[in-house]
Amino acid sequence: MVLVTGAGGVGKTTLAAGLAVRAAESGLASLVMTVDPAHRLADALGGYSLVNHPTQHPEVRGLWAATLDAAASWEEIIRRHAPPEVADRTIANPLFEAVTSRFPAGQAYAAADQMASRIEEGRWDIVLVDTPPSEGGIDFFLAPARTRELVGAKILHWLTGARLPGRRAFFDIAARPALKLADAVLGGRLLGNVAEFLLDLRAAYDGIAHRADDIQTHLRSATTLVVATAQPTPIREAERFFLELPNAVRPPAAVVFNRILPADWTKAAALPPPPKLGVAVVENLERWAAEAHRQQEARAEFASRFRARLAEIPWMSADLTTPADLSRLVSAARGLPLDQLGIR
Amino acid sequence: MLAPELTFVAGKGGVGRSAITAALSLRAARTRERVLAVALTDPGGLAAHLGVELDHRPRAVRAGLHALAVDRRAALNEYLRLQLHVPRLAPLGGLAAGLNLLVDAVPGIRDIITIGKVLHEARSGDWESIIVDAPASGQFISYLRAPATIARLAPPGRIRQQAGWMQALLSDRNRTGVILVSLAEELPVAETLESIGELRAEDLAGLTGVVVNRCLQPLPAKLDRIPDGPFRQAAIHQQELATSQAAWRRKLPNPTEVPFLFGIRTPGEVAARIADEMEGS
Repeated sequence: MVLVTGAGGVGKTTLAAGLAVRAAESGLASLVMTVDPAHRLADALGGYSLVNHPTQHPEVRGLWAATLDAAASWEEIIRRHAPPEVADRTIANPLFEAVTSRFPAGQAYAAADQMASRIEEGRWDIVLVDTPPSEGGIDFFLAPARTRELVGAKILHWLTGARLPGRRAFFDIAARPALKLADAVLGGRLLGNVAEFLLDLRAAYDGIAHRADDIQTHLRSATTLVVATAQPTPIREAERFFLELPNAVRPPAAVVFNRILPADWTKAAALPPPPKLGVAVVENLERWAAEAHRQQEARAEFASRFRARLAEIPWMSADLTTPADLSRLVSAARGLPLDQLGIR
Repeated sequence: MLAPELTFVAGKGGVGRSAITAALSLRAARTRERVLAVALTDPGGLAAHLGVELDHRPRAVRAGLHALAVDRRAALNEYLRLQLHVPRLAPLGGLAAGLNLLVDAVPGIRDIITIGKVLHEARSGDWESIIVDAPASGQFISYLRAPATIARLAPPGRIRQQAGWMQALLSDRNRTGVILVSLAEELPVAETLESIGELRAEDLAGLTGVVVNRCLQPLPAKLDRIPDGPFRQAAIHQQELATSQAAWRRKLPNPTEVPFLFGIRTPGEVAARIADEMEGS
């Protein structure tokens, strides 16, 4: 399994798609799972539209793609782990959608759950996942633990003072000052909804807790690629993978700098320009050379601070609209750990 | 482009929201005396662009400009005390921790407390202009929806009254507005158009402007006359990007263009340069 992660807008999805195409071309059965891809990229991957269900590419042998949808996944998760009538009630609770779509680790957990299911199906030699854009992807790795916490219902424990409260305990508001306060803030009906929801969610706790462990194991064995550009925000996100990643997860196999400008532009700008070139053309190269130089500095600084394998993908100004374009992108890259991924 | 009192700067992740927020704040502080820049969720970007550490209390950045980062826990305590008139939770301890958990679990509550901090600052009359670095589009829209969500979920009572005045302040075009930041690329443009649709359809807040960041202009030169080599490559690169950007920009309503800044090394430079560029336009 390969996780492609990093800040929003750096080209994670494109790289994941490119690697999937190359893996398929190497004879591997390859699946790429993404969240909300650009239309053109989706078209390049066969225009897949079935949420959470891998679709085979009509032209590229061995290439499959799927999109991830958190809300649909959570419905599936609850139905898998809770008795039918409890699952129905949980999904119908007005808090269900709110919690699953907005709980920070919720989307990430749903994506990780889908990913684990596909790996367990064993149909693919390589599963590439483009992590949801939550806090640059760190959340993705913490999602199983956080979800266990939510479903473990620390809140229930706090609200009622009992480890496994009965429904009745909830409505004895006067008995607990904390509940009185919560009641004043939220109002009784909302509090009742929360209580009902969390109690129902508990029915699925053992299942989800067990599953979260499996998912954690998959994440631990995954190869991670962190994508960045030379902009400050993506670099900050990439740094977090070295500063904040929990010990249980393997360090990134490579940090991939995308949109790299040619190094020879910097050299050309340092020499006197050839004769008869217009001022606009000369100044244009000078500007881009300054940008290329800044990129080199940013990469060098990153390399001096963190021990990481660095890879580079050149800046392509044309849109990538076919599998061949995506494959070319990976061929043009330098330093990608393709051998580790089994890609020839 | 700024709304009279309260401006939210929103847009897809990676488009340069924090830089634009910092630039708008610096520029506003050139002509106004009491400007407040606010980081609604992740304070890292705004702090880097303003060159100061942010705290949940307003801190002076320079003459005329203060900044703060909303800290949800501090905001919760303030909210309980000032808005709901819940007496100070003297020994906070476990009670506050528990309440925080509850607030985390019920999304509408968390959002209303976060955005409530900003709205409370706007209502205080302490500031001439408040400029907010909002989270990425999807999340931002649910912050704007929070008062309506609460009004739907919560029974009549104090918290619902709070939701009422908040909703009114957000949708008041004479006081509040939203600036959407985009790039001239497929996904940012799609997300910007989607946000515009949602703001309008649900009457969440008024749109005061669309900023397109990192814009490139076509070269006034004929490419076929340039001999092969780096000069020609760089010219083609510029021309292709400019052409593709122009096509995406045309899909946006009245975009304000902010140029691509070449060779910038520190975030602090970015905000000052953008502020200067905006001054010129």
